[in-house]
Amino acid sequence: MEPTASTGETPHRTDKPEDRIRHFPAPVRDAFARFQAGGDAAALEPVVFAILEDFIPKTPAQPLAAVPLTSRLIDDLGFDSIAITEVVFFTEDLFGIRISNEEILKVQTLEDLLGFIREKVAARPGC
Amino acid sequence: MPLPVISGVGFITSIGNSRPSVLRSLRELRHGIEPFEFFGNPNLQVKVAGTIKGFSFPTPNWRDWNWPDEFTVDRELLRGLAPHGVYALCALQQALDDAGLAASDLTSSDTGLFCASAGSPFLLANCLNQLRETRGERASPMGVVSSIAGTLNFNLAAHFQITGAVCGFVSACSSSSHALGYAMDEIRLGRQRRMLVVGAEDMTAESIMPFSCMRVLSTNPDPAKASRPFDVGRDGFVGTGGAVALIVEDAGLARSRGARVYADLVGWGQAGDGHSVAISHPQGAGLSEAMRRALADAGVASGEIEYVNAHATSTPGGDRSEALALHSVFTSAGARPRVSSTKALTGHGLSLAGAMEAGFCALAIAEGFTPGAAHLEQPDPVCDGLDLPRASLDEAPRFILNNSSGFGGSNVCHVLRRPN
Repeated sequence: MEPTASTGETPHRTDKPEDRIRHFPAPVRDAFARFQAGGDAAALEPVVFAILEDFIPKTPAQPLAAVPLTSRLIDDLGFDSIAITEVVFFTEDLFGIRISNEEILKVQTLEDLLGFIREKVAARPGC
Repeated sequence: MPLPVISGVGFITSIGNSRPSVLRSLRELRHGIEPFEFFGNPNLQVKVAGTIKGFSFPTPNWRDWNWPDEFTVDRELLRGLAPHGVYALCALQQALDDAGLAASDLTSSDTGLFCASAGSPFLLANCLNQLRETRGERASPMGVVSSIAGTLNFNLAAHFQITGAVCGFVSACSSSSHALGYAMDEIRLGRQRRMLVVGAEDMTAESIMPFSCMRVLSTNPDPAKASRPFDVGRDGFVGTGGAVALIVEDAGLARSRGARVYADLVGWGQAGDGHSVAISHPQGAGLSEAMRRALADAGVASGEIEYVNAHATSTPGGDRSEALALHSVFTSAGARPRVSSTKALTGHGLSLAGAMEAGFCALAIAEGFTPGAAHLEQPDPVCDGLDLPRASLDEAPRFILNNSSGFGGSNVCHVLRRPN
């Protein structure tokens, strides 16, 4: 009999990570490729900013790369719980990580999120 | 009793994405039907559709969608919209501009919103496929509100901060006629002073091709002949989508604002066939009764109706039933209104059809013309005695009857009057 409960693993997707970011700007796709290849830890930041800019409910006045890292996702940048859920799902699938509701509720600012994803990615099996 | 009137119209249709372009198409009988390949399959027998020009929805991902530059679609709203929600937003923007209303005029509890669509099979299928693929662990958080029947009212009510009556109507091809009828009642009962009425449908294979399985779509590949209501050679309907928005107001409120009144909405009626889930009553019994009830509600005799916008979709059985119903109400009483089905030009908009055609009737009254029966070469003998003008006429009808029929034998009719 097949298990029916959640395995705790990232749900299986048939599309490849690079397909999921095909609408991102080319420099971001390049940064993702460098990050995935394991050689460039700094390349994570532009990828996370691109994800946030993709799901932010209202187009920000300036690129997220230009706002302070202490900016709060909800209070300063206008995210709502739906958009944060979309960011979590997308990030889980793209990086092959798993983020629980309890974990994401502790993330308040841009730098919280960057640090959190860095830790999660570093803890991936095989990394 | 307050009199509801139409004080604003907005169109995203196969025959035009603005009032002037729709007006020209109706006057000149220009159709909006084009060759269309469903599911990328050239072997399918259905070859045409009433396409919506200037919009494209190539994937379920809103980042791949396009719409004409003149319309504004906020990304905050877009994430919860179906394709027909985009059409609806654009139509409603037009209707509000047309009525001289700003978004800030809509937030009082005197303004309500009634909508009609069948939901988005395109996005619902995508959501369900994601769930199946991940064995229930993943789908878009907006999958439900963007796809189920009701998506229009969920999105538009929240976006425009509507605090009056909000409801969606689901009666298949009479859905938006129900929305308009009940919106009239909200005004007449004094519950609301202004109602936004929006009908819309996706124009996708997922919305249209299931009808092919019922063998009710035309397989005629000629865009100029595939949709020909009441013609002896008709062989099914041509699918379309789009959106139409109508601003319905208490006449006193509209006039106090100096708004243009297109038409008075003086009555409506509905009746069931009590017959079949999918087939019209063979004598059009429910539709006859709905017409009589609408006329009685309006206090108008059948002889006073000068134009009937027929539901006729170009199916053999449905058009025949409607012709018999028209004989029952009009011919037998010695009345002979002009009759046409504008679906010859647009294709059949399903839930959208009733509001779309009410909008066309409002234009006919306000602009002083009677839409002709396009693509009609050889009328079915069952139409003998009906006046089916082959071209649009420069005749301004004083009273119009707008017919709709939906699955399960749900028939709805409105009576519109030229304002004094």
